[in-house]
Amino acid sequence: MPTIDLKIDRLERLVGKKLDIKELEYDLQWISLDLENINEEERSIKVEYNPNRPDFSSPEGIARALRGYYEIDLGIPIFKLTSGEIVMKVDPSVKEVRPYIVCGVVRNIDLDEDEVATLMTIQEHLHWAVGRDRKKVAIGVHDLDKVSPPYRYTAVKPDSVSFTPLHGDGYPMNLEEILLLHEKGIEYAKILEGKELYPIIFDNNDEVLSFPPIINGELTTVTEETKNLFLDLTGTDFQAVNLALNILSTTLADMGAEIETVTVQYEGGKDIITPDFNPKKWEVRTNYINNVLGLKLNDEEMIKCFQKVRLNANKAKRKGYLEIWVPSYRGDIMHPVDFTEECAIGYGYVNLPLTIHDGGIGNYHYIHEFSNKIRKIMIGAGYLEVVNFILSNSDKQFNYMNQEKDEKNLIQILNPVSNEFDTTRVTLLPNIMDTLRLNRSEEKPIRIFEVGDVIVLAPEEETGARRDVHLTGVTYHKDADFTEARSVVDYIITSLNLQENYEIKPSTNPTYINGRYGEIYINSNKVGKIGELHPEVILNFKLEFPVSAFEINLEKIK
Amino acid sequence: MKIILRKQVIDILKNLREKQGLIIASDLANDLNIDYVVLMSAINDLISYDLGGFKEEEINHISLNKEGMTYLKSGLPERQLLEIMIHQDLKEISIEKFIKLSKMEKPLFYIGLSNLKQNKWIAQSKASGESMIFLTAEEFPKTEIEQFLNIFNKKKVLNYSELSPDELTIIDVLNKRKLINKTQKTQRIIFLTEKGKKLDLDDIEELLQVSKISSEMLSTGSWKDVELKAFDVTKPGPLLKAGKIHPIINLINEIREVFLSMGFTEIRGPIVESAFFNFDALYQPQDHPARELHDTFYLDNPKISKLPDKERVLAVKNTHENGGESGSTGWRYKWDENIAKKTLLRTHTTATTVRKLAQYYLEIDKKPIKVFSVDRVFRNEKVDKSHLAEFTQIEGIVIDDNVNLCDLIGLLSEFYRKLGFKKIITRPGFFPYTEPSMEVSVYYDKLGEWLEMGGSGIFRPEVTYPFGIKEPTRVLAWGQGLERIAMLYYDRKDIRDFYINPIKWLRQQSYHK
Repeated sequence: MPTIDLKIDRLERLVGKKLDIKELEYDLQWISLDLENINEEERSIKVEYNPNRPDFSSPEGIARALRGYYEIDLGIPIFKLTSGEIVMKVDPSVKEVRPYIVCGVVRNIDLDEDEVATLMTIQEHLHWAVGRDRKKVAIGVHDLDKVSPPYRYTAVKPDSVSFTPLHGDGYPMNLEEILLLHEKGIEYAKILEGKELYPIIFDNNDEVLSFPPIINGELTTVTEETKNLFLDLTGTDFQAVNLALNILSTTLADMGAEIETVTVQYEGGKDIITPDFNPKKWEVRTNYINNVLGLKLNDEEMIKCFQKVRLNANKAKRKGYLEIWVPSYRGDIMHPVDFTEECAIGYGYVNLPLTIHDGGIGNYHYIHEFSNKIRKIMIGAGYLEVVNFILSNSDKQFNYMNQEKDEKNLIQILNPVSNEFDTTRVTLLPNIMDTLRLNRSEEKPIRIFEVGDVIVLAPEEETGARRDVHLTGVTYHKDADFTEARSVVDYIITSLNLQENYEIKPSTNPTYINGRYGEIYINSNKVGKIGELHPEVILNFKLEFPVSAFEINLEKIK
Repeated sequence: MKIILRKQVIDILKNLREKQGLIIASDLANDLNIDYVVLMSAINDLISYDLGGFKEEEINHISLNKEGMTYLKSGLPERQLLEIMIHQDLKEISIEKFIKLSKMEKPLFYIGLSNLKQNKWIAQSKASGESMIFLTAEEFPKTEIEQFLNIFNKKKVLNYSELSPDELTIIDVLNKRKLINKTQKTQRIIFLTEKGKKLDLDDIEELLQVSKISSEMLSTGSWKDVELKAFDVTKPGPLLKAGKIHPIINLINEIREVFLSMGFTEIRGPIVESAFFNFDALYQPQDHPARELHDTFYLDNPKISKLPDKERVLAVKNTHENGGESGSTGWRYKWDENIAKKTLLRTHTTATTVRKLAQYYLEIDKKPIKVFSVDRVFRNEKVDKSHLAEFTQIEGIVIDDNVNLCDLIGLLSEFYRKLGFKKIITRPGFFPYTEPSMEVSVYYDKLGEWLEMGGSGIFRPEVTYPFGIKEPTRVLAWGQGLERIAMLYYDRKDIRDFYINPIKWLRQQSYHK
């Protein structure tokens, strides 16, 4: 979850109210923010917000919500927007590589140190939350006065254009060189992989503003002297670039800057004016909202709830409906159901009553009930239960057990974070042998068992694999032998009333000692294995006494 | 009658025969370094053969109390005051100054002063208006009381009956000055009978001592001729290596019972799951960061999963692209069937819940459904003290007409109440597949804190509509990690403990609350 740092003094200025940290900690949770950390000395807090609310990536955005919560302001905040002259021409060549661009102009900025930091944070957060790491949206912020309009957004051959990139070595590079040599180029080259033409923004004199989504030109670097900004947002999703522009420019407006529109000319005379702060209208049935929440709010009460979360609402012409207006910096409303939560936040989760919904007859899943029956039997035999991961290591599963590793018939994890887990277990025995290894210095005798899932490849299943529940038991001490394991298995089988058609057939298996291994059969079906472990296996697990073991597939005897 | 005695009793008998004078039981026990009770049981053995006995005697002991002990060291208060006057060569002093000089508490000072007067060592006068003290003697020999106190330097305890009448008068004085303790107790005097004194020791047979009763001893009756050696019953026994259920399984079963008591039925679904059921059916867009490699264990083998029927797949595809029938805008991108076919280890049991929705769609008689699971899920994360790559998720689901958020709060408060958390609080939260969403915290009495527990909400229409679950039928859901509760229940600080099986801990962990 993303977090931002908030200075209380600044937040107080933005909210227009004295704020007590303790009270703030309580209040923030009701507008779905989580206070992570308090720094009493610096009077600052760290706040976590949900990724569906990128407009909370600045103190300005959070202050808007708090002003609603404290009822200082209700409804959608008003931002002044001036009509501007600047034009951005979009060349059709960008369609294949990065089709959308929206722009904005910000005039008369006078940012203090904190506000500059916010501007950096908000870009970082928007790149992540809305831009999917610049793939969907990339943001460029420029010194407007260093270049001359109109601007052009076009796509060019990688080696046909050179410019001096920001944070480079101070000399011009062509686009191909930037991807190979520049720090940001290396990091984001994958977004342009396989593209013949790369996107670029020129000014009227063919000076490069930006090579989106990679890096800006050095020419338009924002400095302390910068008075006016030019914003470019390029990407693959039209709504996403607009959302990011609106979040960025409304925040700058809250910082006291003047926002001015840009005319973006797409081919065929399709002009759009950005940013566009007009709210989006929805019509929602009030009964629907009341029913989902379990409330009985009248229209006025419900309108007030929406206004508190900074939406506008009024009665619609259609009876029983409200018109609800969503500000341009909110991108998380995609269905009328989203207004139910907005209404609940406005109403206050803390005020929601509870109702008891009872009735119904419950049942356990059969295999879990059977597993518990088996557990009782094993505890009666004096065995201690252990629980291991289903994740496993193929060396342990096979090599350690004196078995051939058959890669083709193995569940294989594509991308394990740690090499410890590269597969899932097909039998329980290797994991429980590892339990013995970890506990080898404990008081003997050690008699332990596990009931748990194994994963087996099963092409007939929808997902190509199946989970089976197995039982394994091991006994470890100086006198452990086949006979001891045999008595336990006999006792289990008798306890389950399966003794009629039960037999153990002698067999061989490299995990076990020859002549001390058998396969367990019920009704002529092989259901398990029993034996005394081979000394090599014992030594692989660094043990020093004999081990006898059995493993039964419970799916076959349930 | 043949005399059969334990070896210890024979030893005590020998010892008694050598002793002269009065033999006090407690002193003898000290001398022999045996327990008093053991000694008296040996004496009882002697009594049964008429070899010895004991008689009881009342005794009054006198000893100095704490205050008395300090005076024994530093002198009585009157002596202390006198010393001050002599040392500082004071022939006279005002009472007020004297009190300050002495640094004594007032009551003690006046006790000392009045005794000095009694001894006729000082006199007091008010002639000059101020109360003055004058030394009136030249020599200050030890008083009777002081001489008597010295006895306590040699003997801690005096026997009342052994004191002379003069000494008894002094005791009275000490008693009035509250410097002594008087204790009364009964003491036992051990003696041997004539038989005991004269008996030929060779006529005594020694009784055998054994530590275990054998089957033979029981059948032949020879247990009567032996003595069973006493065990130290205060010593703990060796650790019992008992059969026992694992703490995690114990907790899973408790939670399963809670669900069952609330009318929920247990479901179980595949661990190797398709991205379709794990993500797509839950309306998680295909470019969602949570789907990426670093959070999810994707599989290389099996690599591809089959998808459900075409109609279902199309409904999910449309919902992602344009909202489909759900009334949503959708995510507005091109949905790729191949991404949905990827296989993975399920990241949440909600994948199984969605399978339940798919099944519900097929049922003609759409009864309300209440299901739950407590089962394993997988996250491709580095394992540490508070993170596991594989853990257990608890999930509860209600599908019914007209169920709402307040019903869900009711379910949550009932569920956590049954787990022992009396107070819960729900706050707004965010999960990609629920709206409205709630975070749940419970109040934990033991720590006096609110603890974050899990998430809950009503499934989004984008999740339920493709499976035919439409208004006013809704799906309430909640879930949380089991290990978080386990750490509280079993007071463990390291989450890994539950899966590395420290046998010593498993053998000793209590499940009683």
